[in-house]
Amino acid sequence: MTQDAPAADLTEDAADRRPAPRGRRVTAVLAVLVLVAAAAFAGLAALRSGEPGPDGPEAGFARDMSTHHSQAVRMAFTVRDRTRDEAVRTLAFDIATTQQSQIGMMTAWLDRWGAPKTDPAGTMRWMAGHPGHPGGAAGGGAFTMPGMATREQLAELERLSGRAAEVRFLQLMIVHHRAGVQMAQAALTLAGDEQVRRLARTMVDGQRSEIDLMERMLRERGATTG
Amino acid sequence: MSKSARNRAQQRNALTQRQVPWGGIIFFGVIGLVAAVAIGFAFLQSRPSSADGGGSIAGLVQKDDLSREHTTDAVTYDTAPPMGGSHDPMWQNCDARVYDRPLRNENAVHSMEHGAVWITYRPGLDAAQVAALGAKVKATDYSLMSPYPGLDAPIVLSAWGKQVKVQDAGDPRVDAFLRAYVKGPQTPEPGAACTGAKDAA
Repeated sequence: MTQDAPAADLTEDAADRRPAPRGRRVTAVLAVLVLVAAAAFAGLAALRSGEPGPDGPEAGFARDMSTHHSQAVRMAFTVRDRTRDEAVRTLAFDIATTQQSQIGMMTAWLDRWGAPKTDPAGTMRWMAGHPGHPGGAAGGGAFTMPGMATREQLAELERLSGRAAEVRFLQLMIVHHRAGVQMAQAALTLAGDEQVRRLARTMVDGQRSEIDLMERMLRERGATTG
Repeated sequence: MSKSARNRAQQRNALTQRQVPWGGIIFFGVIGLVAAVAIGFAFLQSRPSSADGGGSIAGLVQKDDLSREHTTDAVTYDTAPPMGGSHDPMWQNCDARVYDRPLRNENAVHSMEHGAVWITYRPGLDAAQVAALGAKVKATDYSLMSPYPGLDAPIVLSAWGKQVKVQDAGDPRVDAFLRAYVKGPQTPEPGAACTGAKDAA
């Protein structure tokens, strides 16, 4: 009995503890479930944050560069109507087709991100923090973006013809491209999305080489960047 | 061990074995997993999107099955201003454009087909209100604004198949409408231009 008693106690202790492992098992299963759910949410959150937001630099760049590009397309069509010079007409064709196609790419991004195509708070806000851009144009109108021709300048281009139209077009487009390069550089600084960065990089390179070309064409026509 | 103690131990053992609910744990575990995935998926789907951005605009009127025919004839529209329908081959230029005279419906409808929002106001609207609306339009490519005689509200915003009437230029629905419908998902001809056509009112 003296030996039995502790054994009985042990058995009783063990019996008393039995519910604990069962409780631990349930707890462990619940913990795993919670972890799985948490991991699922974290994964989805990471997926979401990988997508540029409607107010981020990627969306701002896509919106504002689309507006900027559409004026270049307009000017290119105008000069093709106003001159027969093959060099200028070919350059204008190149700018119009390239930039219109890029507008399509940027519009598709905004569609995929569920981002608005316009920001009623104003253009260029996303560039406010970019060095070299004091944000003076931030919150301004579509036609006050850097490099944009005024309505009066566009109307003038539509009136000119021949050599005069070519020179005015080249001058306006050089200014337009320089600001376009700056905007694309801001996107390279501020944007994280790889597709956005790649297009911005091609804009910087492409428009820079077109600026060189247009400066040469201006010199050939005995004019300066004005 | 006393008989009663052994009985108790066996009883607990039996209880224990009966109560480890493996079937239940697996059953609810699977349900839990499915629920987590489903909730996560719904979470992903509920991302704000411009596609449903306009759905929450109070007083929004919508219209489907609008004709997209081109005609140089005058068209009778069943709303004023129209929300879409047959239209002139020439669109009204809508590159952030403020017109101070009424536009021809048939041209402005073509602009809406290209994704523009047309802001119209009743002639005589307070000058500060007109200026506030004009500032928004000037900052918004693919929008145009004009007075509209006989309007039954001070300000009406229209896009293809969408319309909302507001009393005040400061109404937050103005910005919400622009965000949702400038080149929005209702656009029948995405990618089409807002320049290169009719430039005068």
